Amino acid sequence: MGEMTPKKRALLCITGNKKKADRISCFDVLTTATVDQMNAVKAPFPDAHRDPELCFRLAAAAWEIIGLEGFKLPFDLCIEAEALGCKIHWGRIDRHPSVEAPVFNDLEEFKVPEKIIEMGRFPIKHGVEERLRREYGDYLPIANQVTGPFTVAGHIFGIERFLIWTKKKPREKIEEVLRLIADINIEDSKEALRSGADVICIADPSATSDIISPQFFKETLVPIYKYMVRKIGAPVVLHICGNTMAYLPYLPDTEIDAFSADAQVHIGFAKQVLGDRVAIVGNVPTISVLLLGNPQTVRKATIEAISQGVDVVMPSCGIPPRTPTENFKAMVEAARCWVYV
Amino acid sequence: MVNKDEIISKFKEAIIIGDEEAAVRLAKEAIAAGLDAYEMVTKYGGEAMEVINKQYEEKKIFVPEVLLAANALSAAVEILKPHMKVEKTSIPAKVVLGVVEGDIHDIGKNLVKIMLSSAGFEVIDLGRDVPLQKFIEVAKQEKADVVGMSALMSTTMPGMKKVIDMLKDAGIRNKVKVIVGGAPVTEEWALSIGADARPKDASAAVGITKQLVEKLRKERGDSW
Repeated sequence: MGEMTPKKRALLCITGNKKKADRISCFDVLTTATVDQMNAVKAPFPDAHRDPELCFRLAAAAWEIIGLEGFKLPFDLCIEAEALGCKIHWGRIDRHPSVEAPVFNDLEEFKVPEKIIEMGRFPIKHGVEERLRREYGDYLPIANQVTGPFTVAGHIFGIERFLIWTKKKPREKIEEVLRLIADINIEDSKEALRSGADVICIADPSATSDIISPQFFKETLVPIYKYMVRKIGAPVVLHICGNTMAYLPYLPDTEIDAFSADAQVHIGFAKQVLGDRVAIVGNVPTISVLLLGNPQTVRKATIEAISQGVDVVMPSCGIPPRTPTENFKAMVEAARCWVYV
Repeated sequence: MVNKDEIISKFKEAIIIGDEEAAVRLAKEAIAAGLDAYEMVTKYGGEAMEVINKQYEEKKIFVPEVLLAANALSAAVEILKPHMKVEKTSIPAKVVLGVVEGDIHDIGKNLVKIMLSSAGFEVIDLGRDVPLQKFIEVAKQEKADVVGMSALMSTTMPGMKKVIDMLKDAGIRNKVKVIVGGAPVTEEWALSIGADARPKDASAAVGITKQLVEKLRKERGDSW
């Protein structure tokens, strides 16, 4: 199989085969950009969301500045909502873009424009993925993130309204809309894979069990994710924020390769529930440790996550922009020291 | 002969199951039957929301159900409000409420708003993603009694501390009470930044705000 590369290692770890790799991977498939990196490569938010050159430089900084073992695009969760017509607040250097207001007043109003992945910032994302693949060859992996159907539904209909509809409208109507959004994600993923991406990350933060019931997750979202995984045909990581412990038993049914667990999830417990069926990535706490801690507490938390059994070392969620570089690097260094014997 | 107890228990039930139409109908029946509008809202509406919050805490229900219940209560309040007799001696307390800058998650804030206005507070809703300076400006302008801030993201929480510091700098920290809330906001952290309280949920916010306002009125009187 030749020399071990970060890409081979990442793909082994993310698909639950870390024992076949030389050591654990440190490939962050969530948002990697920090203010320090933006300053170092002169590619600040919000311009880096829209300018292909700046976007490329900032994506590459994950490896060049921090040493994360791969690239991930985009830096925000608004691409889908933007292409569907939502107005975006572009934020600033230390603030991610957000959706200003919903665009559809009812489920029936929802329509997906034709060739949506040629609209908005989809082409920039795919173009940068292509350039990363060209300039870095086959050495490092690339993750293409899609904003999951539930979160996009919250963006375009308004989250409160959509939550109420999950109780009031026929379930088939809700599922139909989620399925249509999933189709956008699938189309986006396929184009990304053609452009050089290796892994798809479905980031669906609003689907947290702080908001919706495990029953809704099981009955409505699991079949949607499974549909996506089957159509995408490449390794898939699912990220959901917050405490998702109640979802764990249903994750194998989604057929995802890996689940990205937020800091509230106990990895040892998750491993017991999931066994070898789904890999677990992430879990190094973003706020209490990476943002507010120091290199020593970061190393400690990283080693704790590894010894509990994570398959890829990653922050528990998107990295807060003000995270100090020395902390972020400490996580990578701790992961690199961990060699299987 | 209309049974008042039956109206009350059906009214509570309608809110708990989030049946807006029934809640509105029962609010009208309550008025027709001569029940006290203020009590319908604060006592029985409040009791229903306490049940909801308990079920939410025990993870028997989730945010969609809480929203349905809050909307049902809110619709009932619209019917009952014109019939509430405001006591002349008590000046209604003013609460300035908002989600701090950088944060657009306003479900929690909206629930608190519904609960507080149902309980008779005058709520000035600054909305979400509120520039920090705005809390100070409006508190001054409106001579507010309470400033309430919410954040769902741990990255935006530090804005709460800044607002409290800005209230101090403006010399009006002792004129208002400050409550903070949101999923990542712990009691310990709230007190460490100098907030007066962190109610654990929307219905707890009502009781705590009442207590704080009473305390405030003793400390600084009714004048600002």
